[in-house]
Amino acid sequence: MPTTAKAAAPFPSSGGGGPVRAAVPVARTGLLLVAVSIAVFTATDVLPGDAASVRATPGATQEQVAELRAQLGLDRPAWRRYADWAGGLLTGDAGTSLVNGRPVADAVAQRGAATTALVGGALLVAAPLMLLLGWWAGAARRTRGVVTAVLTGAAAIPTAVVASGLAALLSGALGLLPAVSLLAPGVSPLRSPELLVLPVLSAALPTALFGAGLLSGAVADTLRRPHVADARRRGRPAWAVACVDVLPFLLAPFARVVAISAGGLIAATTVVETLFGYPGLGSLLVSAVAARDVPVVQAIAMLAALVVLAGLLAADLVAAAVSPRRTGPLGEAR
Amino acid sequence: MRSVPVAAVVLALLAAAVGGPLLAPHDPTGVVAAAWQAPGPGHPLGTDGLGRDVWSRVLAGGRDLVATAAVAAVAASAVGVAGGLVAGWAGRIADQALTGAADLLLAVPSLLLALVVAVAVPGRAAVVVATVCGGAPLTLRVVRDAVHDVRHAGYVEAARARGERPASVLVREVLPAMRGLVAADLGLRLVIAVQIASALGLLGFGAAPPAPDWALMLRENMPGVAANPAAVAAPAAALGLVTVTLALAVQTAARHDGGPR
Repeated sequence: MPTTAKAAAPFPSSGGGGPVRAAVPVARTGLLLVAVSIAVFTATDVLPGDAASVRATPGATQEQVAELRAQLGLDRPAWRRYADWAGGLLTGDAGTSLVNGRPVADAVAQRGAATTALVGGALLVAAPLMLLLGWWAGAARRTRGVVTAVLTGAAAIPTAVVASGLAALLSGALGLLPAVSLLAPGVSPLRSPELLVLPVLSAALPTALFGAGLLSGAVADTLRRPHVADARRRGRPAWAVACVDVLPFLLAPFARVVAISAGGLIAATTVVETLFGYPGLGSLLVSAVAARDVPVVQAIAMLAALVVLAGLLAADLVAAAVSPRRTGPLGEAR
Repeated sequence: MRSVPVAAVVLALLAAAVGGPLLAPHDPTGVVAAAWQAPGPGHPLGTDGLGRDVWSRVLAGGRDLVATAAVAAVAASAVGVAGGLVAGWAGRIADQALTGAADLLLAVPSLLLALVVAVAVPGRAAVVVATVCGGAPLTLRVVRDAVHDVRHAGYVEAARARGERPASVLVREVLPAMRGLVAADLGLRLVIAVQIASALGLLGFGAAPPAPDWALMLRENMPGVAANPAAVAAPAAALGLVTVTLALAVQTAARHDGGPR
């Protein structure tokens, strides 16, 4: 979820300067994934309201619920249920939905394509936008305070507000776009791209503002480096300074910010998809939470965590690979 | 103390959100006119899908949401400050255990966490849990670094030399030095709590119909956005106003009280 710049600055992946071997971050990501799986399992399975009480017909007696619980294997110790569940996930078996009895993996695969289109489209819009806005904010001199205030304020607006504001403007007041997706599950959203405009913009704008706030600090730091002033004094044109002297120093923070934003973007899909009736994983997660369909919630939560952690890992590796500091002065780095 | 006017604006806004229900001209849950009417006389923001007055519902729709967010923010800040004081003061092992746990919590987006927790507990409790899990780690890191900065300051050393207990040094000497930081941090937690509460409300895990609630109104009024855009725009504007004001207030307070940035 997008927050203000200060909020995400000390993110775990932001440490680790200098040469980092790939094995350490990979192992850390694996450990984090195990920890997240335990947390997800605890929150959904061990806390009150288990699968048996969801499945039991209304008015079922205590004995009937207990029988169902035994039938579902819920009377076994938690650690054994966790082991079974985690083992299933590793082999691609996410269990069956408590609501319709169908394999969770099928439903996730079916909805996954639509969410991939949404998240991919939003990243395509948000990434260049956050670089431009972040650069603008970081490079502003006299107006820096005003610019960062505008960015901070705008980044605080909840996704729900951005999405409904855009809908009220573009589809309500101006009548340009349909407000509700009306896309049948399983139909590729690429077939009717106009339905993607509102969801993609709604997810991309808060992400871009949030990322821009994080990037502006890195831009300002880079611009203050001596070699940038040097290049300017030597008479190098502004565009060349930007491309050769500034941009390479921004690649590592940019990769990290994109990875952090991807996490917020995945969370934002729940709001955006639900609001616009877009049949993706986010809306599936929301309906599964409402129905207490625990296996579906667990599978989607783990998938989202996997994507977030993989993104952070990728950003760490990219940062280690492109960091100009490792290869000395910039001239030799490129 | 230039943060006084900022605090006044924030307090006025929160008071309006909390006192709004008293100002509503109509019963926020009562049917008063035809459905999806555009703004007109008697109904400055038109009506919603059930013919209820949107203006009255907007006035009444912020109280529970803001109250939930406030509780969540205070809880997150309190946990984070306590953790940060301990991590900054205690030895290496406690420090690494606490910051390690904080990093772990940060790897999962708060809203996702709120949704997973919402399987087991009501939406409001999920807002609190997610705000604490997503916000306290950040507070912890900021406070921990601040404690590192002051732990060898003269007045702290003096208190230790007087033989005061660690807990009393932390609360009486270290904490007051960080009040600007803690205030700004509390504001940030509040912004994030409103974001989480509004998302959960929109997704149907907050207030239940027919209660007026800004987030719920966004979802309820989306089908009629073509007939009465104000029914969506007004609660969106109210939520946006609260979060933007809070975020700007945090920034101003932080700048003037020597907090973060």
